[in-house]
Amino acid sequence: MSAEHFLEVHGLKKHFEAGRPALFSRDVQKVHAVDGVDFTLRRSEVIALVGESGCGKSTLALLLMGLEDPTSGMVKFEGQDITHLNDHQRKDLRRKIQMVFQDPYESLNPTQTIEEIVTEPLMVHGFANVPDRRERVVKAMEDAGLKPADVYMSRYPHELSGGQRQRVVIAAALVLEPEIILADEPVSMLDVSIRAEVINLLAELRITRQIAVIFITHDLGSVGFFADRVAVMYLGRIVEIGTMLEVLENPQHPYTKALISVIPVPNPRLRHERIILKGETPNPINVPSGCRFHPRCPVAIESCKASDPPNVTLSKTHQAACLLLVK
Amino acid sequence: MFTILFVILLNFFLFRVLPGDPARAGVRDPRLKADAVEALRVRFGLDKPIINCFNSLNPIQIGDCGVNPLDTQFFIYVRNLLQGELGFSYHTNRPVAEVLAERLWNTVLLIGVGQILAIILGMGFGIFAAWRARTSIDYVAVGTSLLLWSLPTFWLGILLLFWGSANGLPIAGKATPGMSSMPLLQQWGDIARHMFLPTLTYTIVFMGEYTLIMRSSLIDVLSEDYILTAKAKGLSAFQILKDHALKNAMLPLVTVIAINLGFTVAGAIQIESVFSWPGLGSAIFEAVVRRDYPILQGAFLLIAVAVILANFLADLTYSYLDPRVQAE
Amino acid sequence: MQTTFQPTALPQSESRFSTFLKAFQKSRTGVVGFWMIVVVIVIAIFAPLIAPYEQRASASTIESIYQPPSAQHWFGTDDAGQDVFSNFVYGARVSLIVGIFAALIAVLIGGSFGLIAGFFGGRIETSLMRFTDIMLVIPDLPLIVVIVALTKPSLFNIIFVIGLLGWTTTARVVRSQTLAVKSRKFVLRARAIGAGKAHIIVRHILPLVMPILVVQAVLVISLAILNESALSFIGLGDPTTLSWGQMLNFAFGRGATSTGAWWALFFPGFGIVWLVLGLTLFGQGLEQVLNPRLDTHHLMAGKPSLSKDALIKPLHPSTLVEVQNLSIHYVNEGKPPAKAVEDVSFTLKEGELLGLVGESGCGKTTLMLSLLRLLPSAGQIVNGKVFYKGKDLTALSEEELNDIRWRGISIVFQGAMNALNPVRTVGDQIAEAVMKHEPKFPKDKIPARVNQLLELVGIVDDQREHFPHQYSGGMRQRAMIAMALACNPDVIIADEPTTALDVMIQAQILELLDSLRKKLGLAVVFVTHDLGIVAELCDKVLVMYGGVTAEYADVDTIYNNPKHPYTQELLKAFPDLTKPKKKLSSIPGYPPRLDALPAGCRFAPRCPAAFDRCHTEQPALHSIGNNHHIASCHLVEASK
Repeated sequence: MSAEHFLEVHGLKKHFEAGRPALFSRDVQKVHAVDGVDFTLRRSEVIALVGESGCGKSTLALLLMGLEDPTSGMVKFEGQDITHLNDHQRKDLRRKIQMVFQDPYESLNPTQTIEEIVTEPLMVHGFANVPDRRERVVKAMEDAGLKPADVYMSRYPHELSGGQRQRVVIAAALVLEPEIILADEPVSMLDVSIRAEVINLLAELRITRQIAVIFITHDLGSVGFFADRVAVMYLGRIVEIGTMLEVLENPQHPYTKALISVIPVPNPRLRHERIILKGETPNPINVPSGCRFHPRCPVAIESCKASDPPNVTLSKTHQAACLLLVK
Repeated sequence: MFTILFVILLNFFLFRVLPGDPARAGVRDPRLKADAVEALRVRFGLDKPIINCFNSLNPIQIGDCGVNPLDTQFFIYVRNLLQGELGFSYHTNRPVAEVLAERLWNTVLLIGVGQILAIILGMGFGIFAAWRARTSIDYVAVGTSLLLWSLPTFWLGILLLFWGSANGLPIAGKATPGMSSMPLLQQWGDIARHMFLPTLTYTIVFMGEYTLIMRSSLIDVLSEDYILTAKAKGLSAFQILKDHALKNAMLPLVTVIAINLGFTVAGAIQIESVFSWPGLGSAIFEAVVRRDYPILQGAFLLIAVAVILANFLADLTYSYLDPRVQAE
Repeated sequence: MQTTFQPTALPQSESRFSTFLKAFQKSRTGVVGFWMIVVVIVIAIFAPLIAPYEQRASASTIESIYQPPSAQHWFGTDDAGQDVFSNFVYGARVSLIVGIFAALIAVLIGGSFGLIAGFFGGRIETSLMRFTDIMLVIPDLPLIVVIVALTKPSLFNIIFVIGLLGWTTTARVVRSQTLAVKSRKFVLRARAIGAGKAHIIVRHILPLVMPILVVQAVLVISLAILNESALSFIGLGDPTTLSWGQMLNFAFGRGATSTGAWWALFFPGFGIVWLVLGLTLFGQGLEQVLNPRLDTHHLMAGKPSLSKDALIKPLHPSTLVEVQNLSIHYVNEGKPPAKAVEDVSFTLKEGELLGLVGESGCGKTTLMLSLLRLLPSAGQIVNGKVFYKGKDLTALSEEELNDIRWRGISIVFQGAMNALNPVRTVGDQIAEAVMKHEPKFPKDKIPARVNQLLELVGIVDDQREHFPHQYSGGMRQRAMIAMALACNPDVIIADEPTTALDVMIQAQILELLDSLRKKLGLAVVFVTHDLGIVAELCDKVLVMYGGVTAEYADVDTIYNNPKHPYTQELLKAFPDLTKPKKKLSSIPGYPPRLDALPAGCRFAPRCPAAFDRCHTEQPALHSIGNNHHIASCHLVEASK
């Protein structure tokens, strides 16, 4: 098995039914939440999925976790199709892909102690009676920066700070020794001064434990230090994907360019012209024809209205879906 | 609509399925001979099968399949119902509809006046307590309301009856005998005097709950961000209450009033029994004592339908008050 | 490098039960209710010991009927010459039994209906809740009366029927709680771990639904007791037992009113009220622990400003707003005051854009609300002055202040969804501000004025008549800005106006604010935690930490020559797109609790450069150079 085939996503789609436009209308409206996503993930690689709300990044996370069933498309993990698994196979897989959620205040059950929270995954997967259960819990907690673990074991979530809670969530993920961690906006609810603490922890884990990270965020600014590659999503599609430096320093898709230009730079000497797009991301019920970005695109040409742009390969690692790049 | 159908069905089957032959129970006289009972059964239509089996619709095959579906008790019941016939009282042999009709308006009068007073007073006290939250006024209002909420309706009625009789107020009935020959204005005055105690009981019992709901709902609204916006706009406290808080705070109250309509009737039964007010409630009370099932059945149906309609009205009010509901 | 925390910084952990007990003891009503119930339970259990006579033991003489209370018969005697007190004592048993068992049935049915409906959703939920709604509107007592009248009025039947019909509210409450718990992220996390349905229900849903169920049970017990007494009163009680309701029924039906035997009617009723009130209070106490309500709101009279020194005059009369040494404390009974803002000063000139930066809980919002005296009732200005065009806002009356609110200084709040009234149209709410401050404005021209304001912020197509929920998040924030502009103010305070908005919408709003400022010559205070926005937008910056000014300077100095270690560390923690490879560093620890501040500098416990003095002595504000650069740090003083 080559490193290339660790996790592959092919043409993944998820359409939700959004109810009927009129009471007795026959056609059901569809929300095109995820609308054909392809990418691959290598072992111990960090990929950042960036996009605004409504771009489908959270739905994509649920699909990868098997918490939603895709409408079509395929997800392969270590060469095996994991799109349609029975409960038993799914449970086995869950040990290998773990998730960290956005809101550390909400993602911990307030009635459980930290020890119960971190032990729970072991119980669920039938490791309740392994002799080294406690050692595994302690190791996961200390790897997540909760040192010494004893101090935290009998605490309840409300006694911890936001950063500590997020470490608990990460410890509960680590205890099963996963190969992929899917982090959905893990720092957006935290204060600026402690965000780096969680990001640095994730960055460390990929080195110490060879864990690959899928880092979902709306904040391009926070991906810099730690992502190997960046994928920018718009209305259910990846519009540009490349290495971190390719995307941040040489963006090719007009949406990526605009998105990067509006990220505030913390230096008043570097105030610059910003590309501010008009309007808001359209409702994913009515995806525009042709290129889905054309109604807001500052450089759209006539043909953008009609034809859906293909992925244009710009380098071995860099691709963008824009008609203007087709030569 | 669905609910009303359900009530009709429930009403019918409750009275057939539960033990006790209605005819025998209705005329509790052991001296009656079997053939006399049988005659009564025919008189009240109880000799017919309850339902037929409706063949395909009735997989468990209860009921008698050999009979004409139009000649079952159920069909006759529904047919009579549609014609406004509710059967005859076992006790007086008068049509149930007639008995209930003359009682209905007395109850509507009592509940109407009592509810309106309770809502107005409850809202008033609630608004005041919320506005002065965490002051002694508020604590007194909340304490009193909790106490009022805990009072058994009939017991409060009895206490007031004691108090009323000591103060020379009429304590029973709707009018002084012989009043009907007096001028209309004097008749009304007499009714009002008779109404005083039952209405007072009614108002007190429901006021407490409305005060509590209004208070907590208004405090919730007043701690919303948009109230801060209104304050920042320079509006006075009175303007904020009137233009930004009251309508929003009414929403939970409307829901509670709607849900309460069922309890309302429960209150009426107790109060009317205490004060011998000739309404539906005392009709139920008397029917219970006399085991007069048709009256009981009719009254229950009438009350249930009335409460359901009132709930429907409350839903309409709610969507009028809250634009977010209309949008859905 | 990993940062670990000082374990000592954590509060001592307690078991959940003792935490619960502590919280419950604070609720006075709950404790009173608890003891009221205990009294009844004791009476019921030890009835044979307490009652002086056998239950229903009657004296056969005529004279013993309706005897008033005496030493022999504490509560008098009833129509059959029985001792009311003894019957009362035994009656407690019946009432409790009916209440508890009926509630048990109701809570079991309602709880499982609600749990199943809430957890499984879909068709199951629709049909279950439909059925519940039907049962809810059917009037309870009449139905109970009908059923009990038709069956035999035995105690068992009564319990059964009351229980069978009392479950509807429980089902609704439990369902909505289940839905709420189910939608919380920790349930999703449990699914992601691989937990099955049974595990999730037992481990995650039930522990959070249980407390609500207990509160409901207490409520249902009291309702059941009331229902039983009413039922007994109309003659449908179990003839073989003597409940309080039965006692009332017998006394009322057998001439207690006409003979004036109040005792036969008063005491049983009093028992019911006592028990029901006790249960209600107890339920309220439990509720208060589960769902603490402060019962405070924005219209409550705030604490008067303690800043009374009328001799203090503005130091910079030419500025629009001048804040001098402002300190604000939150004062709560029985707790040390939370020093939310301490000794903060700044000025605002016409057309100036001041950025107020700090992390959550640093006091920045409190500071802004205090300018217009919009603080919650516990907040008190303990020192300092706020001058607006030379007027001391801390000393004005509420009426005088209302003229300055919105017309002089207006506010754009964070999260416009909650800052707009959901039941009034957007246009209506804008018009209201115009009418309040310009009463002479011709009524017929108001719609045109509102449209003009909305167009100014980019809302076209006459969406004036729409309600806030019909707007998108970005549009609501624009509408909020239009509203802030309605009375042509000199100053706009923008309190995190773009937090929770997408980056592109955020950029749109920022550009709008900036262009309006240039077009209308507004002065703006921009409150944010985002250092990037401040760098892009502001002229001057005030950095706050733990309620105090850390550093105050023009924007270039703050970013390129910061003197306070907090500013320096914060900049290191902030990602910069132009330096993608830069490793971010975090500041270990967390901000101080405002009611338990460190003795020295508030930043000292987290400060990498702290030395002994920092832990013992609060640094004063030091000015650096003559560029109006101010920082509160001992290092600054040392380097001078």
